[in-house]
Amino acid sequence: MDIFTASLWGITGAAFIAALVKDKQKTFNSIKMARGMMKNMIGEIVGILFLIGLILTFIPPEVIKNILGESNLFISTVISALVGSITLIPAFVAFPLVGSFVDAGASIVPAVAFLTTLTMVGIVTFPLEKQEFGLKFAAIRNALSFVFALIIALTMGVIM
Amino acid sequence: MIEIIKKNKLLTAVSLAYVFLFMAMPDKAYLSVKNSMYYIIEMLEIMPVIFILTSIIEAWVPKEVIINGFGEKAGIKGIIFSFLLGSFSAGPIYAAFPICKMLLKKGASIANVVIILSAWAVIKVPMLANEAKFLGPNFMGLRWILTVMSILIISYLMTVFVKKEDIPIGEEKSLSKATGIDIKEQYCIGCGLCEKLMPQHFKVIDKKAKWKESTLNDTQINELKAIIDKCPVKAIDFR
Repeated sequence: MDIFTASLWGITGAAFIAALVKDKQKTFNSIKMARGMMKNMIGEIVGILFLIGLILTFIPPEVIKNILGESNLFISTVISALVGSITLIPAFVAFPLVGSFVDAGASIVPAVAFLTTLTMVGIVTFPLEKQEFGLKFAAIRNALSFVFALIIALTMGVIM
Repeated sequence: MIEIIKKNKLLTAVSLAYVFLFMAMPDKAYLSVKNSMYYIIEMLEIMPVIFILTSIIEAWVPKEVIINGFGEKAGIKGIIFSFLLGSFSAGPIYAAFPICKMLLKKGASIANVVIILSAWAVIKVPMLANEAKFLGPNFMGLRWILTVMSILIISYLMTVFVKKEDIPIGEEKSLSKATGIDIKEQYCIGCGLCEKLMPQHFKVIDKKAKWKESTLNDTQINELKAIIDKCPVKAIDFR
């Protein structure tokens, strides 16, 4: 376990004990709620983790590097952003998936674009958003989020 | 059984692929499991942390206080509140829709609602821990800074393009004319709070709260009003 994870465990453990001391019942109730949420996701988590193995076995790193590497950065970034906009998987399972692509040689620029549009732009939830906030709000918010996802991604590429 | 498969389409597909692979190319199958192992171990290291963080945030961040005090807050204070509310929340972005709608009704600005929605989507605290684990703390930190700046710009641009008149608020219905209760099923998380508080009016069936039809008198309307405010995802309203 690296230092970062270990310190997260430390902080979380301390907060957890403090919460237990303060109000045992309240803390247990919220754990029950969080457990329900986890239960809904566990199938997807296990599925994605084993999918990563398949991807790494059958798609050679050179191919990942070619498609998502530095060579055709702009196109791969826009496509990643589009894929992120239409996919509806919890961000929770997206991080290991994207991490495995980056480990295999993908550039971080399309990775960031995908992660950002995945959560901020929602084509699938668009009808719901339109119903609650109106067409104009939903359309402009999603369009702006898409553009800024690209800007964030390209800026990250320049800095890192 | 069919229910389980339907709920876990991805897992089913991946399992089938592995079964097929173990029969056709066992060496590739072993390699795949081996390749997955690293990420599985990483996930097991971080999952309990995320799980407990989510629980603690849910229990101890006074979301009700934030939401109820929102109407009067504006300026820098409103912006900070919006970021906090979005960052310390759980669930997907559409879970934020009814809460934001209610805040709009209470007088929150469009800019702040956009901040809540965006922060809710991208920069939730437990997710940041997960991101740092798989992509590195530097990656997470830089993306966080850039995202916060982008959200501020987006929220400003939204107020330029979208005015409050563009948003279907729905006029306040006069309470005496309420004929029943409407529950938005797509938002209901089946927590059962309404059933616990008013078992005579609500029942949770298949993880969704249902309204038991009945006529309403003034006392009941007042009691129901309290339930509507208590619903954690704001899925209940008068019809």
